[in-house]
Parts: sequence; structure tokens; C-alpha cells
Amino acid sequence: MKKLLETVNIDAERLEMFNLSAAEGPKWAEICTDLTQKIRTLGPSPIYVALRESRKKGGGANDRGQTKTP
Amino acid sequence: MIVGKQKPLDDIWNSVKGFGKLLVFGCNTCVAICHEGGTKEAEILASLLRMRATQENISMDIRSSGIERQCEHEFFDAAAKEIEWADAVLSIACGVGVQFMVKRNPSIQVYPGLDTCFMGDVEKPGLFMESCQACGKCILDLTAGICVMSRCAKRLLNGPCGGSTKGKCEINKEIDCAWQLIVDRLEALGKLDDFVKIVPLKDWSTSRDGGPRKLYHEDLET
Repeated sequence: MKKLLETVNIDAERLEMFNLSAAEGPKWAEICTDLTQKIRTLGPSPIYVALRESRKKGGGANDRGQTKTP
Repeated sequence: MIVGKQKPLDDIWNSVKGFGKLLVFGCNTCVAICHEGGTKEAEILASLLRMRATQENISMDIRSSGIERQCEHEFFDAAAKEIEWADAVLSIACGVGVQFMVKRNPSIQVYPGLDTCFMGDVEKPGLFMESCQACGKCILDLTAGICVMSRCAKRLLNGPCGGSTKGKCEINKEIDCAWQLIVDRLEALGKLDDFVKIVPLKDWSTSRDGGPRKLYHEDLET
């Protein structure tokens, strides 16, 4: 998945996978805090920036998300 | 099974960018087994293309779907509306499936999303090995069940050549010498005497050298 993200110029560091049990609440909170901090350091994703620019110009290119075929 | 590999995303994007309605279409048989061309991969590829379109501010409606086999008529009916909807179809079937899609839909632009690589087996999860060339005249009975057409770089009918060293092929030390495998297997079967039997010249007219091939069962025609 990280390799795929890199093909569309999205920093692979934005995605991480962790294995935790439901009993590891403190660990979960720590991971969320750390990853949020990392994402803040990396700044907005290129997709977010592109959508923001598109909306500013009045466009709406491809911001409809996953669409289903008829 | 037929093994394929998705083309680089840049190549795919250059083929399909700009189409208003693009359908990424998977085939859920061979190329789904090798995790390159099934409906699941079509969904992922469609997502990547949507991201690319967003980044380049190109307005495209990119959807995904798939059928069991893109090389047979009977499976296409279920997807007729989806295909009709599209300005272009990006097929991630093998080359057979892509051509069959073209044959069935002559008015729709069809692009290949996969490089069809070879016919092979699943040696272990994630590892696919070439094992047949579809030469049209199987000689596995003469070569201890090991295909020299696909597994010997020189396709030697009577080997090995001088490039066989310690059981490996001279083109790559990681590739087994097919003829060493044949000798080992004959030995294990107690049939090493068969090694000295000369395999006759091969009739290549049954391979691609004889032009496109076909197989027809008249009795199956409806």
C-alpha cells in the first residue's frame, strides 16, 4: 500500500499499520498522538491541497470519492 | 494460468487521462490469482487514478468493475451497462481479455493496464514461475515432465549445453538448468537410461511459427 501511495506522490509515511488488542487503550492513544504529530509535521496531503485549489477555482474535479458503476 | 503485471501507473495514466468516463475493468480468473488484474485490483487502480486526476485538476469520472473471465462471451452480459456507460475501458485482463473486450465493443476505446508475462504456476504465495510456452506439441513425456521450451533458455531438445554449471543456467545463477532437473528426475525414477535417447527435431508449425492457432469443437456449437 505504501508503494502504491508513492506512485501518486503521497508520502508513504502518512500510512502506518499497528496490531493492538482491545485491552491496549493507552498504547492506542500514544500511537494516535504520535501519528497525528507526524502528519502535522508532514503538512496537508497533496490530495487535500489539490481539492482545495480546485474548489477555490470553482471546480470540483474528482472530489466525489468512490463511485459505483450503474 | 496466465501471469501478468500491472503497467507503471505513469504509463496507464498517459493512456487514459482526459476521458470523461473511464471504467477500470478487472478479470477474476488468472490475473486475479497473481494479484494484478482482478476486481479488487481494479478498485485500487481506479482510486489511484482518481487521486492522480485530482492532483492534475482533470475532471474524470473513474469507476471500476470486473467479471469472472474477459475471454468468454457468457460473462459479459452482467457488465453490459457498465461498459456501455464508459468513454474508455482500461482492461486489466491479460492480452486475450483485452482483445476480446475490443472484439465485443468495437466502438469503445479499450486500453491495456497489464503487461501479460507468461503461463506459469504458483510456486508459493506471491511467486509465479513460467512453465509452459504453448508450443502446440507437448514433449513432456520425453523430458521427464520438465518443459525445456520454457525452462531452458536455449530451448534445447537434447541438453544440457556447456553453460550448465553446478545445476544452474549460465544466464543467471539463480535459474535451475532444466536439463540438470531432467537428469536428477530421471535418476530418481530409475530411468537414467532415457537420458541418452535422442529427442527428435520439433515440428514448430504447431507453435506461433504456423500463424494464429485455433481449436474448434464442432459438436459444442449451439
